Formats: sequence, structure tokens, C-alpha cells
Amino acid sequence: MSSWQFVLRGLAHHWRINLAVALGVAATTAVLVGALLVGDSVRGSLRSLTLDRLGKIDALLIAEHYFREQIVADLVTQEPFTSRFQQAEPALIFPRGTVEFPGSTKVRRASQVLVVGCRDTFWNFDVRQIRPLKMPRVDEVVLNQALASDLGVQIGEQVVIRLPQVNEIPAESPLGEKEDRIRGITELKVVSIIPTKGLGRFSLTPSQSAPRTAFLSLETLQELLDVEGKVNAILVSGNPQQPLPSQTVCDELSTWLDLTFADYGFNIRRVTQTFPRENPASEEIIFDYFSFTSDKMVIEDQAARIADKAFKQLRGIPTFTYLANALVKLDEDGNEIGAAIPYSTVASIDIANKSDLSQERAASLNVSFSENGIGLNRWTADQLQAQVGDSIRLYYFEPETTHGRPQERQAEFVVETIIPFTEPSKPFTANSDPVFTDRPTWANDTHFTPEVKGITDQDSISNWQTPFQLTREVRDVDETYYDNHRLTPKAFLDLATAQQLWGSRFGKVTSYRIPVQETLEPGQAKAFVSSLENAFVQYLHQEKVRLGLEFRPVKAQSLQASSGTTPFDGLFLALSFFIIAAALMLVSLLFQLGIEQRADEIGILLATGFRRQQIGRLLTAEGSLVTLIGGLLGIGIGIAYAWLMLAGLTSEDWWLGALVAPFLEFHITLQSVFIGYLLGALCCIASIRYGVRRTRHVATRRLLAGQMTDSLADSLVAQQQRSIKIPLGLFMTALLLAALGTRWGGELQAATFVSSGAILLTAILLLVHRQFRLGSTQQNTRRWNLSQLSRSNAARNPGRSTLIIGLIATASFLIVGMSCFRLSPSVAGTGGFDLIAESSEPVFADMNTVEGREDLLLDTEESLEFAEIFSLRVQPGDDASCNNLYKASRPQILGVTAALVKYFDDPEQQGFSWASSAAETADEKTNPWRLLNKPIANDTNVVPVVIDKNTAMYSLGMYFGIGEQKEFTYHDGRKVRFQVVGLLANSVLQGNLLIGDKYFKERFAHSEGYQFFLIKSKSADSINAPLKVTANQDSAISAGRMESGLALDNDSTQSSHLQAISDALENALSDQGFDVEPARKRLENLLAVQNTYLSTFQSLGALGLLLGTFGLATVQLRSILERRAELALLRSSGFRRSRLAQLVMLENLLLLFGGLTTGVFAALFSVLPHMHFGDASVPFRDLIFTLSIVLAVGICTSLLAIRATLRAPVVAALRGD
Amino acid sequence: MADLVIDNVIKEFPTRNEPLVVLKNVSAELSAGENLAILGPSGCGKSTLLHIVGTLDSPTSGQVILNGQNPFTLPEPALAKFRNQNIGFIFQDHHLLPQLSVLENVLIPAVATGKPAAAVIERARDLIERVGLANRIDHRPAELSGGERQRVGVARALLHKPQLLLADEPTGNLDRTNAASVGRLLLELQEREGTMMLVVTHSIELANLFQRRLELDVGELKERKID
Repeated sequence: MSSWQFVLRGLAHHWRINLAVALGVAATTAVLVGALLVGDSVRGSLRSLTLDRLGKIDALLIAEHYFREQIVADLVTQEPFTSRFQQAEPALIFPRGTVEFPGSTKVRRASQVLVVGCRDTFWNFDVRQIRPLKMPRVDEVVLNQALASDLGVQIGEQVVIRLPQVNEIPAESPLGEKEDRIRGITELKVVSIIPTKGLGRFSLTPSQSAPRTAFLSLETLQELLDVEGKVNAILVSGNPQQPLPSQTVCDELSTWLDLTFADYGFNIRRVTQTFPRENPASEEIIFDYFSFTSDKMVIEDQAARIADKAFKQLRGIPTFTYLANALVKLDEDGNEIGAAIPYSTVASIDIANKSDLSQERAASLNVSFSENGIGLNRWTADQLQAQVGDSIRLYYFEPETTHGRPQERQAEFVVETIIPFTEPSKPFTANSDPVFTDRPTWANDTHFTPEVKGITDQDSISNWQTPFQLTREVRDVDETYYDNHRLTPKAFLDLATAQQLWGSRFGKVTSYRIPVQETLEPGQAKAFVSSLENAFVQYLHQEKVRLGLEFRPVKAQSLQASSGTTPFDGLFLALSFFIIAAALMLVSLLFQLGIEQRADEIGILLATGFRRQQIGRLLTAEGSLVTLIGGLLGIGIGIAYAWLMLAGLTSEDWWLGALVAPFLEFHITLQSVFIGYLLGALCCIASIRYGVRRTRHVATRRLLAGQMTDSLADSLVAQQQRSIKIPLGLFMTALLLAALGTRWGGELQAATFVSSGAILLTAILLLVHRQFRLGSTQQNTRRWNLSQLSRSNAARNPGRSTLIIGLIATASFLIVGMSCFRLSPSVAGTGGFDLIAESSEPVFADMNTVEGREDLLLDTEESLEFAEIFSLRVQPGDDASCNNLYKASRPQILGVTAALVKYFDDPEQQGFSWASSAAETADEKTNPWRLLNKPIANDTNVVPVVIDKNTAMYSLGMYFGIGEQKEFTYHDGRKVRFQVVGLLANSVLQGNLLIGDKYFKERFAHSEGYQFFLIKSKSADSINAPLKVTANQDSAISAGRMESGLALDNDSTQSSHLQAISDALENALSDQGFDVEPARKRLENLLAVQNTYLSTFQSLGALGLLLGTFGLATVQLRSILERRAELALLRSSGFRRSRLAQLVMLENLLLLFGGLTTGVFAALFSVLPHMHFGDASVPFRDLIFTLSIVLAVGICTSLLAIRATLRAPVVAALRGD
Repeated sequence: MADLVIDNVIKEFPTRNEPLVVLKNVSAELSAGENLAILGPSGCGKSTLLHIVGTLDSPTSGQVILNGQNPFTLPEPALAKFRNQNIGFIFQDHHLLPQLSVLENVLIPAVATGKPAAAVIERARDLIERVGLANRIDHRPAELSGGERQRVGVARALLHKPQLLLADEPTGNLDRTNAASVGRLLLELQEREGTMMLVVTHSIELANLFQRRLELDVGELKERKID
């Protein structure tokens, strides 16, 4: 018989207790495997979702302007493309469209809809065989199921789609169009509704929420938007044989696009003015240059920088022309004299450089301007009767409007030169330039002014189509000038001065002038233009500037994001710590019970010459086999456990709040199963080793007597050795960790909470164990009664009793601890705002002003008179709130206006609750929002940012709070570095980065207007006050009685008032896709996610309770078995059955209460700092309810033991049978 | 010099008050082939003395010399080996492992040093035959009577031909017939194996079968005549 045979015999013979141990091991392994599989499933589901929604699409280019569709046709025929990629599709994509269904009774509207105009071949990207049953043709549309359900629309019905009109001129410049920016496409017949899967859930942003998508044919959309032959997106699928395209590959792909100036939105044209010479008969060149301009009127800074480099060799120079509302002469006292010249253009040119003119002509001008100098053309000087040295006042609009309204400013200059200027003999006509009979001058150049539709193409100032009203008097002479010269500049400034006055985030240059080389032969102009284009594009590539025309590896990025924000496996493992500890305690307990049963076996082995170490190895081997078998069982249970968790997380009736959409699918990886199994086995074997080690200290004679407990003598020695110092030390460590946890956040905070709780539990259990040991050796006969007897019985086996208390304590700790972190919406969470709105398209007007409301046709809405509406700018990005499980690589940014910052200066406003801030001064402490406009010391490139604390830590992985910096890459590869200056606590602004308006405009020049709104009813205070404190309302909301979220109070007047505001805004701004939501409802949805996670962890506590109960029952039954003779003796000596029942019940209650008290105390202790400094609170009512259940379950378990006690036959028990 | 020397052994157990002295300067000697019975009432310290002689417990003072060696100077692994090779135990409660057969139980001391060799297995079979259980060799302890179980315990104790055979109330759990039978078997085997045997018992009938008898009284060992 070998040692292994010996082990196997033991395994088989003691199968009952081994089975119990195996079940404990199974529980441990199940928890581990289950937690890892939950993580696998979340990651796997997110990955599947990504592959699902993108199909074969690997790379995506989406531009802010249109470019030629032909580019795509050219691209796919290129050799490098055909070897590396499979398919490229042109498309028109609008991520924030609005779809309306008129319906029979009420218009139903869906905003933030992805509208895709694509060819039929787009569906070749699909990998799930999802494609419309009927492809959309003219006036037809295909909707995905999510959108169709939201609208309640059926096949055959008609919808309206509203899309942004791409206007070249920035809307927030004075000449930018602000109102007519939406293109409504009516009477689109729904011809197919496709499931929201495969390409039916095609979306640009990684999110597990079902996107709402509408598909039209590309040709239809091009025709409806008047952009025939143009697109704004290219979708590309890679070669399946090659690795997924990376950013580097996409960068290379971008360079293969055959882009022209027009595709970038630039133009280049030759501008020539000649005049016939009389003798000899020839043409004098007045000016002759190539003009480089942008469709956007102003050339954006990045392009200007490239142009500087590309055209420097060719002596290209920048010009900047701006509209002056009026030019007027001043007297010596600064009073305006004479008539003002309205609506003139003022040009600035780097005259000092003079390189745009030929050297000879430039030298002849001999003009330059000082900072305050101005040059007037002869006509203007004559009109103003101005001479050199006179002062001129210039009225102009600020280069950026405020809430869509231009702000007029003025500046004064001194006339430094009068520039020669010639009147034509024939004015401009619709088809021809003016005719000069006298020699024109270089100032007779109308091309200084870039073309602006509705202005430069009009034949009269009175016909101008400007976004602002022409309030100044336009005289006949002004119209005559316009007839003769159109928008030829009337005045000239120094370039630097003009750029300082009128330069903006949209740009500081309106054109580049590249002089025609005198050696340029006639007929070579076209080739020269090509060389200019090539030089520009070459520098773009060299500088890696794409100007929005770049591919990004959308699939690779999305797959990376599918690693998730929250490490679910880590989170579940961390919070499963207690349940694992409980399971290990159970394993240890059961194993020790097994060893105790076999004490005499150990004794005889020792007596026959076995070494203790050898016996330990045999027992460990047996325990390990049990563990390995139990672990296999645990894998099965773990899989079922994970499946159950996922079922809960995807169930509408259970935990749906956590994940927003029931998208989760069960995913299993062998790696996780193996790791879970191995970890579980190692933990259990370690626990078994600990149990085995205990036998080392038991004397052989006691083992032979069947006893595993130390003798009195041993106890006395142990008592002396067991100092109270260790528990005290642990207690202090727990205290320190709990305190530190309030300073840290995120997973660190959770880790400190768990660690401090675990350490404290250990400390208490050590004390309990010590007390039991003392109690077992110190009998007090003076107080000898039934309870004393039960206490003595409980103390009979200190280790066993302590483990039971530990089991129940861990479960109680988890349940109580998690309860304290549950959150309910508060006014501080909503910042005191009642409603939150978002719009698909920007709103420019200030809805807090009468003028702004007039602009939006809201001036007749009485409900808005009592509403304050704060608008925030939006740079669209990933949703970084806990609603999105994907990792946010470029979180959405909100630009906080000065008005909102000022609003919070008022201490009477409720405001948001701050977790922490970098406030130093008293003003900053009163209103930390001020920090958004305070530059970061020593680093002006860093943007101060305020983030919701949970978003910072859980979604963005910013754990270090105030002062932490992080960089995100936004469109066109631009990197923006942020530094945290404030953290909001549990706010409705979760998921966004909040930065100051100034920084927003600097960093995100392309984002215009406002798309996020905080709305406060001026009389809503009466609603908010009771919200904060009334528990009934919380329960009402949780019971789903307040579906709209508006009926927050019994005060129906207030509710209807909020509803009226909501209706008024949604109706008036339907074109912009304005969507209003009660702030409290949104906050509640966000907090529901956190609360759901807590619920899952509480359910782990319940599982721990189950283990605890199992342990309690096992130990009690074992104890009864061991003491059956003793109990029989008590009965024989006159104890009634009820008295015995009382005794056993008291023993159980002692352990049960001990466990509950220990767990509750440890939980409250660990939570206490978070209650004081953070958001934790004790929900006493729920807590008492939960603990009552624990108690009830424990008592039921005790009844089992009592039943066993009372059923034991007295005589047989006394005989020891 | 005797093969077993028990020299002034004192054993005390600590209590809450004064230490409890169980053995007071106990001394005895035994030579190869001799047997000795120690009598005494319950709680007099007989088993404690046996455990000390068998190295399962250590004396508070004094020493035990077996074949010229003081085993208490050995480290635990060497002590275990010493016990395995030199001492055989027979207990009142026989302490058979329920999961093992008769043969396997007898072989337990051999498993302590590895896989039993064929010769050892043969000896085990021989011992089982000698204790009269040849027909029960594959039976489990639960299938044996009390007397049979004790015979298995005897065979197990003799497996390694120990220098010293220790028996603690070997007939304490047996009826009179079985007790006499087991007593005779013990002496017969002891004589055949040429080992020393020390038995503690309160059974005068059993003690009377032994060459020498001592009585342990209040911790002190005294000569006892045949009754």
C-alpha cells in the first residue's frame, strides 16, 4: 500500500465530510470563475457588438465639408489600395439628424439620429446578412428597428428628416448664417425596417445602446441636399487576409486620396488687371497674382500655417479683409463729422513685405502703416474729406457673435496715406468687370474681398442677404461705389492690427496672394496652379495635417474601447473578496471538522512512527484531491453563476439599470475558467494547509483520545501568547485605510473600503477568538445559568465558533456596506436645475434674452418668462458616463459659458456638490466654477477641466483627483491636455469634460453654437426643497409611479409649469432636434447604474449568507452529534425538551448575533469616513429589514439543530452508540 | 545495563493553580525478553508513563533510555523514525483506521517509511495468521469483533519487530474470555519475538500473567506481589 493508496482510501472512506469540503471549494471556485466570466462576457459582448455594428468596415473618413465622390472611385483603382483593402464606399453621413413622424394625433420626434446616405453596395459590409428587404430609392428611407419603435412608424408611412445644412462660413462669425441651417426632407416613405443588429445598428460611436439609424440612397440625399457628386464620408474595409488596419495604415491610406484644393474647400484663381499702354502699344500689368481663398471666407489657422510654408518660396503673402460697418471722420475733439460711409471692406496686407506685388510696383507705393495708421483710397478720402493726419473712426462687428448676435465695436485710426484710386468708365455688370479708361491702381482690386454668397454676388447693397440687419443709411453714392467697385476695399490697415482686431478661432487670413512670376509663359498658368496645389498638399502630408480628411481605424479603436471602462472581472473579484473569504472559511471549517473526526487516526499514525510533516502531507494531498474535484464542480456552478448574473443584468425586472440595454451575451474563455479554477484551488489548498498545521500543535495523547483542541495546559500557554496587540494593530491599520479611502477615489477607494473592512473583521474575529479561549478556561460558577451554559458550549471550540461568526460577519458586512453606498437623486446632483436639454443642431440665440427668444420665435411663450436657460457648447465625443461600457477615448466636452459661471457666484443658488476642487481664494471656494477660466500656472497649453468624480475615476481612469493631467486626441489628430481643477459629486453632468468657454473656442474652433442646456424654473425652489428630504418621493420614483419625472411633487402647478417649458422649447426648436428631459430623471438613471452594481454585490452578500447558514447548520449538527451523550445526560437529569431546545437556540443565537454585530460594526466603521466626507449614508430602514432576514434564516437553521437534538434517543445516546 | 531504563521521570501538568504532578521520580528497568505489568487505579498516571516511555509525550524531568539512547534528544523526524523502528503500541481502543483492511492496518508502520517491501507484507500476513485472523485479512475493522480488532492492533505493533512493545489497557474493552485470549497472545508473541513488553492495566488477571508487576500509586512506582 503506497501513500497514494492511503490517501485515496481516506478520500473514499470520509466521503461525506469530503463532499461537504468539496462543496465549499466549489463555492469558492464558482465565485472566482463566475466573476471572471462576467468580465469575459462584458468584454466579449462589447467586442461582438463592435464587430456587429461595423461589419467589415475597418476605416472611416468623415469630414465636416463635402468633397468629390470621384475620389473614392479613384482610390479603389490604385494599386496600393487593392492589395491592402477590399472595398471603399462613398457616403453622406450625418450623426445628429432629427427624424419626425407626423402620426395621426401627435408628432413623434427622434433626435440624435444617424442618417446615412449610401449606395446599395454599402450593405456588402454586413456580416450578419442584415440588409433591407427593399433598398431605398427616390423619396424613400429605411429605418432601423430602434428608430422605428421610437417613432412608432410602420412600413409605408412617411417621415421627415432634418439635416444640418453645411454652410461654409462659420455660423458664429457676423456673416455666418445662423437660422437657415436645417434642411428638412419631407415625405420620405419608409420602405423597410431592418433589425437593430448587423449594419442595422451601424453607428460611429462605441456604445452598447441601440443606435437610431436611417438609411437613404446616396443619390437621393445628394439631390435633396444639392450636393450632386459630393459626399462627406468614405467607409473602407480591409483585406481580410491582412491585420486590422492601424492608425499608421490609415494615415497611409489618407495619403492615397487624390484630393484637390476644392476637396479641401480651397480655391485658387489668377487675378489680373492690365491697362493698355499708348506707346508702344502694349498692356501694362497693374496687378497679376494667384489668389488662394477658402469656401469658409476665412482660412483656418492650420491651413494658413501650411500656406505660409508652401507659398513662401513664391513670395506668397497673406491678406485679411473685413467688413467695416461704417467709416467716419473725427474732429480734433473726437466728434464724428460729416456723413459716415456704411458697409465697406477694409483690407490689410503685409505691405512691408510687398512681395505680392512686383518689386518695382511695390517700391513705387512706398506705403506702410503704423499700428494706428490707416490708408484710405482716394474715393473714401474724398467722401470723408479726410487728409493725411486726420482721425477716422471705424465701426465693425466683433469677429465672433455672442449667442448669434453680432456685437458692434469701434476703433480709431490716423490717416497715413491716401491711396490712388481710379473710377471706371463702365461699372460692374452681372457678366463683366468694370472698364477703365483711366489707368487703374493696385487698389482697384475687388478680389481683396473673398466671395460671400448673398453679398458679393448681389448687384446692390440693399440686396445683401446678411444675417444681421443693415441699419445704417446707404446713400446713393455708396450704391454708386458698389456699382463701380463692388466690395473693393475702401481702406487699408496694417496686417497685424487687422488680425488683432478681427482675427478669431475661425482664422486670421482671408487669402494668400502669390505673384505671377514674370517668367511665366502664357498657357503655363494651369500647370502653375497645379504646382501650387501640389506644394500645398505636399506640405500637408509633410506636416501630417489632414484638415479633417483623414481616415481613422474605426474598428481597431472600437475594439480597443471594448476592453471597457470598468474592469468588471476585477470589480467583481474585488467585491467578491468577502464571499471568497467566507467560502474559504467554510472550506477551512469543514476540513477541520473532518480532521477532528480523524484525530485518533492522526494519533495512531504518530504512534506508529509517522512524522507530523508526513501526516500533514498525506492530509494535504487528500484535501487537495477534494479541492480539485470540488473545483471542477465549482467551474460548472461558476458558469451557471455568471450566466445568472448576466441574466440579472439583462433583465428588465432586475438589474437593467446598470447596462442600459440588454445586449450582454454569455461569453466564456478557457483562460478565465482555468485561472478561476487554479486560484480557487490554490486558495482552498492554502486554507486546508492552515487546517492541517493546526494538528501540529496538538499532543499525540490528545489526538489518540480523539481530541483536536488543546488541553487546559496548552490553552494557558496559548492564552499568555495571544496578545491583544495584534488585534489592536490591525484595528489602527483599518482606521488609517478607511481615512485614506476618503482622499482616494475609484477602484482605490473601493479597495480601501474593502481592505479596511477586511482588516477590521480580522481584528474583531481575533478578539472574539481570544475571548472564546478565555471563556473556555474561565468559568464563572456564580452566574451559572442556561445562557452561561450555552456561552460555555459555544466557547468549547473557539476556532469553529469564530469561523461561524466570521462567515456570518462577512455576509453582513457586504450587505450593510453596499447599502450605505446606495445613492438617490438630490438637488445638489442636478445643480438645482429642473430640466436638461440637448439639441441635434446648435442653437445660437440666448434664450434668456427677449431678443434671443424673438430670434427663435419663442417670444410669445409665457412659460419661458419664468425659466432661466443656460446654454453650453458641445464638442461631440464618446459618452464617458457609466451608461456607456465602452472605454471613452475622446469624451464629450461641454463649454461652460461665463454666464453660467457667474450664475454660481450667487450663494443663494443651489449649485452642484463638489467632491473636491483646486480653489484657493475665497471667491473660488464660493464658486469653484471660476477655476475653469483660471489659466494653469506655468502651462498655458493645458486646459482646466471639471469632471464628475465617478466619470474621472471609473470611466477615464483618472484616479489622482485635483491636479491630474490627461491628454485626449480629438478630430484631425489634435491632442488636448486637460488638468483637473474640480470634481463634482454624483452629478447629472456625468460623462462630460467641462471646460471654460474661452478654452473651448480656442481648442474646438469648428464647434459652433450651443447644444446642451441647463434649465431652471425660477419658481421651482418649492419643488426642490422637499425632494431632498422626502423619502416617500424616492420610493415613489423607484416604484415607477413618476414615469415622466416631471411629476416630482404634489404641486401640480409646478409640474405643469415645467411641462409647459419643456413643450414650448421642444416645439419651437423641433428643427434643431431639441430634446428636454427632467434633470432629476436623468440623474436617477445615472445613479441607477451605480446602485445596480451595488445590488449585484449585495447579492454576493446574500450568497455569503447562504454559505454562512450552511456553515452554521453543519457546525451545529456536528456539535449536536458530538454532544449527543451530553445532551442525553441533561435530559436524563431532568431537562425538559423545551429547555434543551432553548439551550441549543441560545448557542446558535450567540453565534448569529456575534456574526451580525461584527459584520455591521465593521461595515459601519469602514463606511463612517465616507459618510462624513463623501456620499455614503446608512439606510436604516432597509438595513433593519435585510438583517432581520439574515436573523430569520439563522434561526431557521437553528431549528434544524434543535430538531436533531430533540429526536436523539436518550438511551442510545447515553450508551454512546 | 538494562535495555530500557526509566530514570527518575517526573511529569507535571500546569493548572490554574499549582502544577499537577502525575509522576514522581518514577524509575524502572527492563531487559530484552522481559515483560512488565504496571497496575494502578484510573487517573494514577499509568497511561502518561506509557506515553512517555513510548516517546509520545516528554517528561518534565528525568529520562528514558532505550538501547542506550535517549530518544528525547532526537529531533521530531528522527524521533518518529526511532519510534517506528523500536516501539510498538497497543491501545485499549485499538485505533484501527476504518478505511483500511486488516492487512493494510497492519502495514501502516511500513507506510511511514515508504511503500512496504514484499518481505514486510509477508511478515504482516504471517503476523495476521499468528493472531488468528488469516481468514479476515481483507476485512475492514467495522466487520470485526472487539477481540479481533485488538488482535489486529497487536499484529500492527509487532510489524517492525520492535525492541519495546507497549500496551495500554489492551484488554480493557474486551470481555473476560477475549481478554484472557488476547493476554496470552501478547505474551506468546512477546516471547517469540524476544521483545520487551510493558503493559499498563488495572486488570490484575492480566497483570498476573506477567513476569514482573509494579504498581503506580499517587505517582510513585512500587513493587507489587502476585495476588
